[in-house]
Amino acid sequence: MTLPARDPGHVALAVSPAFESLFRAEYARVVGIAQRVLGVQAEAEDVAQDVFVSFYRGHPADAPYARAWLHAAAAHAALNALRGRDRRSRREAAQAVPLEATAADDPAVTVAASETRQEVRAVLARLPDRSAAMLALRYAGLSYAEIAAALDVRASSVGTLLRRAEDAFRRELQ
Amino acid sequence: MNDTEIAQALGTTEPRVNTDDALARFQARVQTEGIAPVAPVARARLTSRWLQGLAAAAGVVIVASALTLSGVAGSIFQIFEPKSVVAVPVTQSDLNYLGQACGGLNLQECMGAYGTFEWTAPPQPKEVQSRTQASAEAGFAALAPTSLPSSVTGNPRYGVVNRSTATFTFSADSTRQAAARQNRTAPPLPANIDGSKLFITGGPAVVQIWGAPTTAPGRGGQGDISDIPTLIVGQAKAPTVSSDGVTVDQLRAYLLSQPGISPQLAAAIRAIGDPSSTLPVPVPAELAISHPVTVQGVQGLFVGDNTGIAGAVIWQKDGMMFEVIGSFNESQALAIANSMR
Repeated sequence: MTLPARDPGHVALAVSPAFESLFRAEYARVVGIAQRVLGVQAEAEDVAQDVFVSFYRGHPADAPYARAWLHAAAAHAALNALRGRDRRSRREAAQAVPLEATAADDPAVTVAASETRQEVRAVLARLPDRSAAMLALRYAGLSYAEIAAALDVRASSVGTLLRRAEDAFRRELQ
Repeated sequence: MNDTEIAQALGTTEPRVNTDDALARFQARVQTEGIAPVAPVARARLTSRWLQGLAAAAGVVIVASALTLSGVAGSIFQIFEPKSVVAVPVTQSDLNYLGQACGGLNLQECMGAYGTFEWTAPPQPKEVQSRTQASAEAGFAALAPTSLPSSVTGNPRYGVVNRSTATFTFSADSTRQAAARQNRTAPPLPANIDGSKLFITGGPAVVQIWGAPTTAPGRGGQGDISDIPTLIVGQAKAPTVSSDGVTVDQLRAYLLSQPGISPQLAAAIRAIGDPSSTLPVPVPAELAISHPVTVQGVQGLFVGDNTGIAGAVIWQKDGMMFEVIGSFNESQALAIANSMR
């Protein structure tokens, strides 16, 4: 099996059709979850690659829990990457932010936006893992049922847990 | 701050991904690093091997923690003190190779294939009656989970392993002889490694076991299925390895030059960023998955498959190694680990 011929630089694929299907179906979602945490698409895509490698290495592509596993792993791996990034120098973090600063030409506005994004990411890094993961999954667009499956909680509890996570987020941000 | 504002705070522009490119990148990485997909094995067959694999993973921490340094020469420098743990996938072919190399020998005899291993103060595990006593014996406060799943009942049993010490002396002659016994030719031991010594430290350690047999081994215990513990919590002073000559990079290069090491294992070993402060935990590649997790505010490692058959969380914090092992999925194992006080 190969990539479609229209794809430049295509390579021979050894992954199973089931895995390819899973990858195509979930890659954007996995990146989206990681990007909610990291704020930088390039880093989110690196995390997504790692997540799919971990899954490929350890799970059959047609596992019934595949999607939930990928979603949870995306959130946790991104949080770990975020905390690792926080431990590195502030200078590196400051350099990373302008990569996705898009809005204003006004340097003051850009700096303020960058500082807000940094602060938001710092708050996420400080939150308990489950709360931070819950926020990432929810604001990446997952349904309550998908969040419940990913975080192994009852669907009926997601609303309450999400509110607590949001409250904790607000408190930390103040 | 309302939900919309939170969404804006967390929001970034929706990623525009090129899935074709991403899939090609994934495929290239799989091929370059020799990453194999999980073997399609019937889950029912996994259980016992699962537990063996997890026991092996746990064993690395326990064994490493059970080793300790006593005498320190003036020229010794420390080459290993774990600050973090990382999974190293070990394939069946690696196990076959290591099995041939060691020929069913124990740790001491197996290491004898590369030199002389000598306990200077061997580990002497013993059972104590309470966590307080375990803490007193170990010399540190033994933490215990404050929240347990309903599957874990009763009181734990407590074990303490003393601080023990060992030295290992590399020998080119031993390496050649061991390889010859297997009809192999080992890569020559570099001259600067031949004769150099490692001083290995670890422990003391405290182990708490729920669901352990109430009859001690050797006193009539039958060891049936009901004897499998439901939860094991281990805590140990982080092990250290010091050397009077060889560096960790030299050791890594020599290990990677051994015949029979799989591409996956080699890639994983090469990927360890700082081998002087990272404890590699072997994980059976075909049977288990592992990934970093945040536990007790630090980065640790989850080993399991999230089905609840078995799972382990291993982490290092404040100079101590911790592990939680049992029949749990990831969230359960993390909940136990995070409840330790």
